[in-house]
Amino acid sequence: MRVTIGRRTVMGAVLTAAGAVALTAAFGPAWAHGPTRQKVRESIEINAPPAKVWAAIGNFQDMSWLPPVTKTEGEKGNEIEATRRLTLTGGATVDEELYKFDAAAMTYSYRITKVDVKVLPVTNYSSTLTVTPSADGKGATLEWAGAFYRGFPNNDPPPELSDEAAVKAVKGLYQAGLEALKKKIESGS
Amino acid sequence: MRARILAALAASLCAASIGSASAEEAFVTNQLSDDLMVVDLATSRSVATIPIGGKPAGVAVSADGRFAYVTSPDAKAVTVVDAATRQVSGRIEVGGGPLGIAVTPDGKTLYVADWYAAAVRVIDTASRSVTASIAVGASPSGLAVTPDGRLLLSADRDDDSVSVVDTATRERRATIKVGTRPFGVTIDAEGKRAYTANVGSNDVSVIDIAASQEIGRVPVGMRPYAVALTQGRGFVTDQYGGTVSVFDLATLKPVKRINVGDYPEGINATADGKRVIVACWESNTLSIIDATELKVIGEVKTGDGPRAFGAFLRRTE
Repeated sequence: MRVTIGRRTVMGAVLTAAGAVALTAAFGPAWAHGPTRQKVRESIEINAPPAKVWAAIGNFQDMSWLPPVTKTEGEKGNEIEATRRLTLTGGATVDEELYKFDAAAMTYSYRITKVDVKVLPVTNYSSTLTVTPSADGKGATLEWAGAFYRGFPNNDPPPELSDEAAVKAVKGLYQAGLEALKKKIESGS
Repeated sequence: MRARILAALAASLCAASIGSASAEEAFVTNQLSDDLMVVDLATSRSVATIPIGGKPAGVAVSADGRFAYVTSPDAKAVTVVDAATRQVSGRIEVGGGPLGIAVTPDGKTLYVADWYAAAVRVIDTASRSVTASIAVGASPSGLAVTPDGRLLLSADRDDDSVSVVDTATRERRATIKVGTRPFGVTIDAEGKRAYTANVGSNDVSVIDIAASQEIGRVPVGMRPYAVALTQGRGFVTDQYGGTVSVFDLATLKPVKRINVGDYPEGINATADGKRVIVACWESNTLSIIDATELKVIGEVKTGDGPRAFGAFLRRTE
């Protein structure tokens, strides 16, 4: 499936939209969450061998391929329980931890251990990146799948922290990330 | 050639034994497609899809098989489904965030956990109305009633404990400390032990109900959701692990991890004890495990986001 993408910068847009509700949002313990877990699954065809796509994303300590990420700092490389802190344009950070890594299958899974809902309106977020040969055998398919709860942990969320807002933000992020990576790999940079 | 014939024979015997298993159905809440689907476990086919709304999550099928009760946290309601006719026969407004649900063995009382309110609502199934509220710990999630109907256990997730409630007085008579963030709770057929899946500490707490204390802890996969019991073993869904962890109920030692679909959640053993049915939230499937061989023997497509949190199997004969 080829994804299309709007022109806005996703995390930037999320920052502005959610910023308005930040003061009124209830920041419960990080474990608390809404009643309905959401899922987003996006994929993109890249005109390059799967190994090349894997080489671009397969280092957990380098997420420079995702547009709003300006810095990746972390520990323990690609080991299970490796951690990283992403710094985004504007200075916000996201802390993440690796919990599955399979280089042979070209897939890994990680979860967000700390993020402000002003930055990404989700809680209990986990996601998986997987590279497979494309159906025609000529290129690669990169899939990004996420599972998460909305930013508001209690009943009756404000619209900015609703299920819909969470899905929209993650979907936009994935589409932007996949599109950027495709461009980067296909242009040979 | 001979090997091939034997293999075919073995396959047909296997199919026959699946076909002759006691007639049973799975009532699966598909949270993201907002419905309840009924799967005939003899044929592994979906036989009905009932629109529910309100993001259905919890389910409790009455012991007599007449009703399936479904919680919808977004609608703040419990939907009553006539299990045989597959029709919605009522809707009970409960308020709050109804999630976990259990029905007493006599079918007269429903308990519904309010995820946001540290309370369990009591519903009289005859009048279909809320008649009382029981104070428990924070974020009650899984509920279970002992086979004699005398005790209700509530896994109070954000208090890292289980409440033991006397169903006659409707008062909490004990609080049992368990692992971190207990979600599902399951009571054995004898009513002696209970098992909680601890999402935060990646283990299962084993509770002696009479003594009101935790007597053991079993390590399982990542982010366990719920526990099923059969053939002397516990079967635990590991959401992030994508596995079912199996452990021995006598020794509490891990036995095996079985790969199932992604984000396995609701899990129940069939009445004959031969199979374990697992709802896989991410892959939109039911994985069917042979409880003796400890392997997946079948898969059934579901709607979007199956959770099946509770007692979701119904005997049809």
